[in-house]
Amino acid sequence: MRLPKFQYLEPRELEEALEMRALYGAQSALLAGGTDLLVRMKQRLMKPSFLISLKNLRELSGIRIQGKEMLIGAGTPLKEVAGSALVNLHFPALAEAARAVGAYTIQQVRGTIGGNLCQDTRCLFYNQSAFWRSGRQACHKAGGKICYAREGSDRCRSTNQSDGATALMALQARVTLRNSQGLRDLSLEELFTMKGETPLDLAPNEILTQIRLPMDRPGGASAYERIAYRSAIDFPVASAGVWLESEGGTISKARIAVGCMGNAPLLILQAGESLEGRPLEDTQALAKAARIAMDQASAFAVENVGATVEYRVEMVSVLVERALRRASARAAEEKRGEGS
Amino acid sequence: MSRVPLKLKVNNEELELLVEPHWTLLEVLREELDLTGTKEGCGEGVCGACTVLLDGKPVRACLTLALEAQGCSVTTVEGLAGEKGLDPLQESFIRHGAVQCGFCTPGMIMAAKALLLENPCPQEEDIRKAISGNICRCTGYAKIVEAIAAVASQHDPAAKGSVGTLKEEPA
Amino acid sequence: MSDYAIVGKRMPRVDTPAKVTGEARYTADLKFPRMLVGKVLRSPLAHARILSIDASRALALPGVKAVVTGQDTFGEKWGVFRYTQDQCFLPMDKVRYFGEEVAAVAAVDEDTALEALELIRVDYDELPAVFDPLEAVSPGAPLIHENFPQNINIHVNINVGNVEEGFAASHLVREDTFTAAEESYFQGEPYAVVARFDLEGNLEIWMPNAGPHMKAKPLSNALRIPLHKVHVRKIAIGGAFGGRSEISPADFICALLAQKTRRPVKIVYTREENTVCTRQGHSMITTIKTGVDRSGRVLSREVTCYMDGGAYSSTGPIATSVPFLCMEQAYKMDNVRYNGFRIYTNKPIRGMIRVHGRSFACGVDTQLDMIAEELGIDPVDIRLINAREAGEYTPTRSYVASCAMKETILQAAQKAGWKGKRGKLPKWRGIGIGCNSVQTGFPMGIRGGSQAIIKFNEDGGATVISGVVDNGQGNDNMLVQIAAEELGLRPEDIQLVSADTELTPTDPGAYSQVSTFVGGQAVRIAAGDAREKLLRIASEMLEARVEDLVARDRMVFVKGSPQKAIPIQKVIRTGLAKGRVVTGEGSYWPKVDPKREWVQNPYGQMCEAFSFGTTIAEVEVDPQTGKVKVLEVVAAQDVGFALNPLVLEGQFEGAVAMGGQGGMLTEYHFWDKGRVMNPTQLEYKVPIAQDMPKIHSIIVESHDPKGPYGAKEAGMSIAMSAAQAYSAAVCNAIGVYLKDYPLTPDKILKAIKEKA
Repeated sequence: MRLPKFQYLEPRELEEALEMRALYGAQSALLAGGTDLLVRMKQRLMKPSFLISLKNLRELSGIRIQGKEMLIGAGTPLKEVAGSALVNLHFPALAEAARAVGAYTIQQVRGTIGGNLCQDTRCLFYNQSAFWRSGRQACHKAGGKICYAREGSDRCRSTNQSDGATALMALQARVTLRNSQGLRDLSLEELFTMKGETPLDLAPNEILTQIRLPMDRPGGASAYERIAYRSAIDFPVASAGVWLESEGGTISKARIAVGCMGNAPLLILQAGESLEGRPLEDTQALAKAARIAMDQASAFAVENVGATVEYRVEMVSVLVERALRRASARAAEEKRGEGS
Repeated sequence: MSRVPLKLKVNNEELELLVEPHWTLLEVLREELDLTGTKEGCGEGVCGACTVLLDGKPVRACLTLALEAQGCSVTTVEGLAGEKGLDPLQESFIRHGAVQCGFCTPGMIMAAKALLLENPCPQEEDIRKAISGNICRCTGYAKIVEAIAAVASQHDPAAKGSVGTLKEEPA
Repeated sequence: MSDYAIVGKRMPRVDTPAKVTGEARYTADLKFPRMLVGKVLRSPLAHARILSIDASRALALPGVKAVVTGQDTFGEKWGVFRYTQDQCFLPMDKVRYFGEEVAAVAAVDEDTALEALELIRVDYDELPAVFDPLEAVSPGAPLIHENFPQNINIHVNINVGNVEEGFAASHLVREDTFTAAEESYFQGEPYAVVARFDLEGNLEIWMPNAGPHMKAKPLSNALRIPLHKVHVRKIAIGGAFGGRSEISPADFICALLAQKTRRPVKIVYTREENTVCTRQGHSMITTIKTGVDRSGRVLSREVTCYMDGGAYSSTGPIATSVPFLCMEQAYKMDNVRYNGFRIYTNKPIRGMIRVHGRSFACGVDTQLDMIAEELGIDPVDIRLINAREAGEYTPTRSYVASCAMKETILQAAQKAGWKGKRGKLPKWRGIGIGCNSVQTGFPMGIRGGSQAIIKFNEDGGATVISGVVDNGQGNDNMLVQIAAEELGLRPEDIQLVSADTELTPTDPGAYSQVSTFVGGQAVRIAAGDAREKLLRIASEMLEARVEDLVARDRMVFVKGSPQKAIPIQKVIRTGLAKGRVVTGEGSYWPKVDPKREWVQNPYGQMCEAFSFGTTIAEVEVDPQTGKVKVLEVVAAQDVGFALNPLVLEGQFEGAVAMGGQGGMLTEYHFWDKGRVMNPTQLEYKVPIAQDMPKIHSIIVESHDPKGPYGAKEAGMSIAMSAAQAYSAAVCNAIGVYLKDYPLTPDKILKAIKEKA
């Protein structure tokens, strides 16, 4: 499959890259690993005139703790995120998510955490070759006025299938978006627009440089679960990330994020709130929270990523419950560890 | 469209080429350098038939721009055999009957090579995981896993491989 | 028992070294001076009349050297059979499926060719389309081919004995309907063609194929050039699985472009084109009614099957028959009636596939399991009661000379620990069994037989010239092993010239699993002929009788006196010096009933041998997610004789992956009307290494009297019985009999919930 033609720009460091973004804006696209972008270009879903390669930007890679935050460069390979001792210790959900993406040969070099976070939404009626989409009207996401996934829908119903995004949503991550003039600091909730056509609040002159995770939350435990028909290669058809804070064996705060249902990972506030004040071992409360998450998420899914909506929605409950159990077990272990 | 200079090493040979920006590494290898061992099985980064090593690490050449390999060292299946003969992986694939139609074989061997460079003594589970990005329609993977495991079990910690270096085991 | 030197041995295949070094050349790897890139323009509509095609802007684009449309063809309709001729390679009147070829360009490079496609303007008059086979046969449905009313492409009717009487005499009668979506080949290599003409009008053409002679004739017809001027060349092939036997429009289009431009042309399909525009499997709705006696012996069976054939007939009559034939070979049946309907729809074309008829095969075996449960019989026992035996005739009157079906059942059951497991596994674990049989050969008309020539060379080696093609299953190695055995040489002494229609004699192709049986046999006979001539020369040199001489391991010697041996090389050189012929020839024509015809007369000897196989699978189902973890698979097949156990194991393992792991758990196409929604390996889930179970292969040998060394087919039977075993194991694990395939997690979960 052939790529369309474009001009290739190779900035040597971040400032130069930001200048290029300022100059070319919406005509440009950022090339990190390219495993999402280049496929879309081959399918003629995107035809940027300029590709700005991030390969020389070492400053975009790396994981470190700075003050009360863990800073993860957007260009850090997934393998590094998955294998990082810091990430596995403090935010195992993120390591689990990174480990689940694609396959061994994709994670080594070309798959980056920033690329995964910024992965465009997907839909089986949209993510197809130019030929497949020809012979009929373009859909909302392709610039048209129709949705093939949900008849009569006046907006795009494409689905976010990013493992990293769902885990980071649960972990309450923030992101740094830079442009040549300055930067913006957004929560993940602010990053996602909830619009399938343009899922990210990432301006054409910006580069997402850093993912930031707060480290000042004691007693935190997390877990990530996803389901797909095969053990590698596949995007998940349902996923869940959870974050629990507990004190003395009681949950003080919970964040439950559900992926693969809507245009963005869904933070199910009600489900999280239902766990506040419950003991970690209260399996009934965990199951109830999972059901709340499922009920809330079910409104968002349409049949556009393979597997039936019925199945995917049901899996939300299963995955949230499994993630909660594992996070809860992790929290209990830490508590025991602290006591000894 | 004007062409851009590309300097890289392919199978230990220094090259200077002129490429168009939209050419992938796979296209340059196959069409400009006539190294047709690396295959296009899907063009979308799913099947792994295009797997090559970039500075010793596996990439999907069909989703890697040629220019992204600027200044890098690329190893393809054609670069495995040396003056001393075939790479142990190649010998093992032959011996174990791990090849049928052979179309996935170059990519599969390169993925296996990447694994062994990183982890010279993988368990069966590690092997299966490492090649799960390479689709084979003929073999059911059984003999491929056997062939890779056989090379792993022969590993001599003191030896150096024909590509890059093998990690030395701690003493 | 025979003491073979080469056959029967585990040996690495001779074609493997070129494949592990990347030197093996597949079609897309070919490069010729001045070669052009060809691309095909395809219909974006599932059913439409072509009103006009305007290629002028494309032709004006610099770098474009030719554009072809239906106007450049002779308008002949092609078909595998005379009565199924329904396809123009470049249609002139209408298009019948989304993706059908409409025009093609040849340009100096790929970017130009793609740009040129966008400049071709086609005016269509869209027609109503039909995508469901049952809708397609209903009144009022759009007619896809004018001379096939009700869109019925093929109707096969087979009637043996008296089914009504059989049912009346039965102790228990069940009727069930089983459905399966289509599956797809997903060969590793996407389709490609390279074609070039020389100054004398000879066409050289390369493409992945399952029979070069089967490609040459239709090309000759369509291009209206003499057959001897069509040279289909040998090339490494990345898999076929049944989907590359027939001529493809791309073959014709590429040749046409090469003809017009007088330059070599290469067309390489994208993965999507390979999925949509070559062949797919048939989706099927199969209703099976079976009556048994108290012991579980089948007395009567009636099967009705509706197959979605897509837009053209392809191997229609064969496809409509094979699922039935597999069943009638595997199991005894005195009374059976079959009505198979292959129906046209505006979908991609369906052809023969290695796992042909999931719903049929799994339906028959699932029903046996259901009956066994009702009667309180073990599923293994009901298979044994009904299993085919040697010396019997199938209902359609094929004599079964060799059969070790029961042996495969018993050995598989023993290896799998069936007795200790069935009914005794922990909850959500299951074990299941599947049995099947596959033909070795079909009646193929003039191309049903194979011929071979072997010449000894001056250096003591030999060259085998055979039309047999290797799709990746190991046919090249098979010929080398057989030739080496018969000639008394080593495999490395054998040169192989094969699968080239200019150089090699006729052969049926790898179609119907026949390469070893027919092609290998011809080579064996030719080698025997060459050896005979060699030994006559040697008998003079050794002053011994020809009958007393042995050729083995590069030497000729008198039986019992290996110390007085002379090298074969010396014998050959002596022969050459005396002007003696050192070349052998051989021909093999299978004794099938020439009056048997798929539709008109589906009775008589089908082929000379049948393989039989049993697979047992053990699985664990996650009751919360419906996902299946496959723990262990035992695959046992009666292959007649194992020419190379290493190769056979590879076939079994690959078959388990394709038929069982993929075919039963994850592989199917889903649709947006006429568009395949999962054309690539991302969304069409072919199995990956991490998900495969441990596989035990059991080779059973029944020593067929006709097969070379007793060998029969060994690549397809396991694929089918694996699908059946996986299905049976999952049903056993969840306690529900599932009838809609494949068994994806959502279906399994639904069944679990509904049962609770």
